[in-house]
Amino acid sequence: MSVTPEDVRHVARLAELAVEEADLPALTAQLDRIVSFVAQLEGAGASGPDASVAAPNGTALRPDLVNPRPLARPPAAFAPEFIDGFFLVPKLGVMDES
Amino acid sequence: MTWETVIGLEVHVQLGTRSKMFCGCSTAFGEPPNTQVCPVCLGLPGALPSPNAMAIRLAARAALSLECTVHETSVFARKNYFYPDLPKGYQISQFDRPLSSNGRLAFESADRGPCEVRIERLHVEEDAGKLLHDRIAGRTAVDLNRAGVPLAEIVGGPDLRSPAEARAYLTALRQLMVYAEVSECSMEKGSLRVDANISLRRPGQAALGTKTEIKNLNSFANVERALETERARQQAVLDAGGMVEQVSLTFSAATGQTRPMRSKEESHDYRYFPDPDLPPLVLSPEWIDSVRRELPELPAARRRRFVTGYGLSAYDAGVLTSERTIADYFEAVVAEGAEPKGAANWVTGEAMSAYHDAGHFTVAPERLAGLMRLVGDGTLSHQAAKKVYVEMTTSGQEAAAVADRLGLVQVRDEAALGAWVDAVLAAHPTEVARYRAGETKMLGFLTGQVMKASRGKADPKGVQPVLVRKLGGL
Amino acid sequence: MSAGEAAREVGQRLRAASRLNATLAWSDAALEAEAARVDAMPVPGPLHGMPVAVKDNIVTTEQPTTCGSRMLAGYVSPFNATVTDRLRGAGALIACKTNLDEFAMGSSTEHSAYGRVLHPLDPDRVPGGSSGGSAALVAAGVVPAALGSETGGSVRQPASFCGVVGVKPTYGRVSRYGLVAFGSSLDCVSVFGRTVSDAQRVLASIAGLDPLDATTVDQPPLETLPGPASLTGRTIGLPREYFPPDLHPGVKAGCDAAIARMKELGARIVEVSLPHARFAVPTYYILAPAEAAANLARFDGARYGARVTVEGDIRAMYRATRGLGFGAEVRRRILTGTYVLSAGYHDAYYNRAQGVRARIAGDFALVFASGVDFLFTPTTPTPAFKAGEKTADPVAMYLADVFVCSANLAGLPAVSLPVGRSEGLPVGGQFMAPHFQEAGMLACAATLERHLDATREVAR
Repeated sequence: MSVTPEDVRHVARLAELAVEEADLPALTAQLDRIVSFVAQLEGAGASGPDASVAAPNGTALRPDLVNPRPLARPPAAFAPEFIDGFFLVPKLGVMDES
Repeated sequence: MTWETVIGLEVHVQLGTRSKMFCGCSTAFGEPPNTQVCPVCLGLPGALPSPNAMAIRLAARAALSLECTVHETSVFARKNYFYPDLPKGYQISQFDRPLSSNGRLAFESADRGPCEVRIERLHVEEDAGKLLHDRIAGRTAVDLNRAGVPLAEIVGGPDLRSPAEARAYLTALRQLMVYAEVSECSMEKGSLRVDANISLRRPGQAALGTKTEIKNLNSFANVERALETERARQQAVLDAGGMVEQVSLTFSAATGQTRPMRSKEESHDYRYFPDPDLPPLVLSPEWIDSVRRELPELPAARRRRFVTGYGLSAYDAGVLTSERTIADYFEAVVAEGAEPKGAANWVTGEAMSAYHDAGHFTVAPERLAGLMRLVGDGTLSHQAAKKVYVEMTTSGQEAAAVADRLGLVQVRDEAALGAWVDAVLAAHPTEVARYRAGETKMLGFLTGQVMKASRGKADPKGVQPVLVRKLGGL
Repeated sequence: MSAGEAAREVGQRLRAASRLNATLAWSDAALEAEAARVDAMPVPGPLHGMPVAVKDNIVTTEQPTTCGSRMLAGYVSPFNATVTDRLRGAGALIACKTNLDEFAMGSSTEHSAYGRVLHPLDPDRVPGGSSGGSAALVAAGVVPAALGSETGGSVRQPASFCGVVGVKPTYGRVSRYGLVAFGSSLDCVSVFGRTVSDAQRVLASIAGLDPLDATTVDQPPLETLPGPASLTGRTIGLPREYFPPDLHPGVKAGCDAAIARMKELGARIVEVSLPHARFAVPTYYILAPAEAAANLARFDGARYGARVTVEGDIRAMYRATRGLGFGAEVRRRILTGTYVLSAGYHDAYYNRAQGVRARIAGDFALVFASGVDFLFTPTTPTPAFKAGEKTADPVAMYLADVFVCSANLAGLPAVSLPVGRSEGLPVGGQFMAPHFQEAGMLACAATLERHLDATREVAR
């Protein structure tokens, strides 16, 4: 199973990551190399049990208290664009609205 | 061409907690934007989620009220996609190991009578923030106060057969969630949201047709309207020999139209995987039982008990159990000794209008029971009692005191009645003569005249014997 | 020495070591402020006045946290990491933020947007990574201890290359609140020290349950045990898969010397097997990028960090920002991670890797249940390699992690300490222990440390 340029375009879209067409061949080759390397796992045999790193005592749940962690500086201090209390971003595309 | 309509609803209810699902920020509604935020719900680098115990409890309560199986182990999962209202670029939700599954909700269909919707699953997740598109030209404004608020997602099976049934199901679901004190379920405040799936198929066909999804409907009425519009649209497509495309739609209440909302190439590949920041949620059978014991008597069961236990009509039982507050009030009045059917009349009548005006019952149950006793023993006529009740809603006084103050106590004193009767007989010799000649129905007319003369204060039950006696020539 | 004096000395040493490019943010003013804070403490803490460097993927409110990336250039966090708070609570001086492979992804610290870090003993070589800056500062004697982070060995490997001690705690021992996430089920804040004792003290100060991190585990406070006089009664396992016939001779010689010394000290040495060892690197390079792809999705130019303004809608902004803000290795890992999670591949890659991870952990559990106290292995297959030697082929770089990443996959504690020199370059050996057995493991390492000359040439 090898990675194709279309595969790379597809995952780049899913990951919202710009990939220049000029870079595509080299990137495809690198990803193909990596994916071929990790595909060695096919030789590992049947799967073991659920590997999620489980805390031995289950989930620690937080009491329902209003005690927010304070921010040393407000959003206005670190946001790229912040006006009238809102984070501002470019608009969604026409077919992307909700 | 007949088509069978198949509708399934996904409902998100906001769990009634004070703090958010994964952080200690407040969930209060209507605050200035981005003031109820912290590193966790802003998705700042380095922040980690800390799950809210009450949110889990309320979700389990909701699940049990829907007769779902609550799973002892469930897993939080990341649902990965990019959208400006999603600070981490993923939503913490649940995927293949949800909190609960396999429940049901009964409701009344106008077409099919008593029906049931299977509840496929109820799981917990965090809400996204809010986007405002028209606040500043050329930009989308993002308010993350709501990001991280705890939600229960309730997925119903494709068991509804009309837009009207969808509405009836939502009403029943909302009632149940409010009864169980899980959620306020206010669509205006966004604590209840509906996504509707609809498809058509030939009657008798087992397979489902291609469905479309209508998202972000903001009232039950709009759910019904949107589904009607979309049903008509799908029908037209299929009747013309075309195929329905699987798309997500929004509904405009202003135009009554649906339109597609996402470009077709947008992938719905959410790449779910268990959230490594959260160990599996482990709930003991004892804990689940303690939540089950917390459940109040649910609407359907309470309705049935009002019919069989109090002998009420199904209609009255339905009205009285429509809200837990009303049902509780009714039973409190009965507990004070009031006769159930009478109490039902009072609560569904006068008391109900006052309740809707004030938002709560202003007359304490024992006071209403007291008022009913005065009618029962003849101290007050029913008409007078209604006036007394209105006064009681604002004054807080006992019925007897109000009746006295307003001078509405019925007169039963023989001498007083006699005086009125004498006056009326003297004023209506013709009718008296007709009565004495055998027209016994004149009694009704004369009784009415005595009531008028006494300005309603005479006890009608006492008037009759006095009239009869005096008409008999005594 | 007063805190103020310690602060001034650190400032001098930082200046003198600037050619290493190991630091990303430090200032005399910040050092003075730290000293003033320590002096104002009513009771001295266990780390009183100790200067500690902090890897620049651990957030602090007083200096920027860049994660070695253009994406966070100049970003000043509005909250502090729990470990930073605890260091300060113990009386430590935060000396500086250290350079790292971008977002902790790398094994050489050549992938920083702010230039590579130089190996203190040889400027043409790499210090290892991703915590290369922290390792270099400790090795250069600038600070006695530093915080780093491990996802796939990123503290032990540079510790081995630089000739210092590197300790990875059990997963869940130390809070990750404030560590910028890379591979959440693998990430551990870890500690460099000049000596095992330095590392122990720092680790004990930062360890412990944190309600802000649901993956931390309630454990008794971490003891700092002194190294016992002998290792009698200890069984040390040598997994044969970690001693391949073609192991670098200098590395082999260094480890052989350490093993011989442990025998002299009374330890019982046994050969064991970890049969799934060869699948560790591919397993790691499926799971870590998958989690990273999700963890780095928040960097989109919307709420903080860099934003690249382009014509078009918000998605055009996302793509341009992420395309330019992330370096090549980070982009590769995001794409790999997205690929192995995507529909059609999820089962074959991600799910299978989770299954193999369980088997790798199972191998360790079996060995520890069979009477072995600790495992001992080389930390790295070679001493520090030259800059540029492995950057052409991403997989070549990944293989540098072959001996370290299993402990991350299994959540086990591990410590690397210098065991000798090969042609002047440090060689490291590591212990691995069962979950939450750091105290005993570090004591054993301390004993070995006492009886080894880490600067001795071991190669033929």
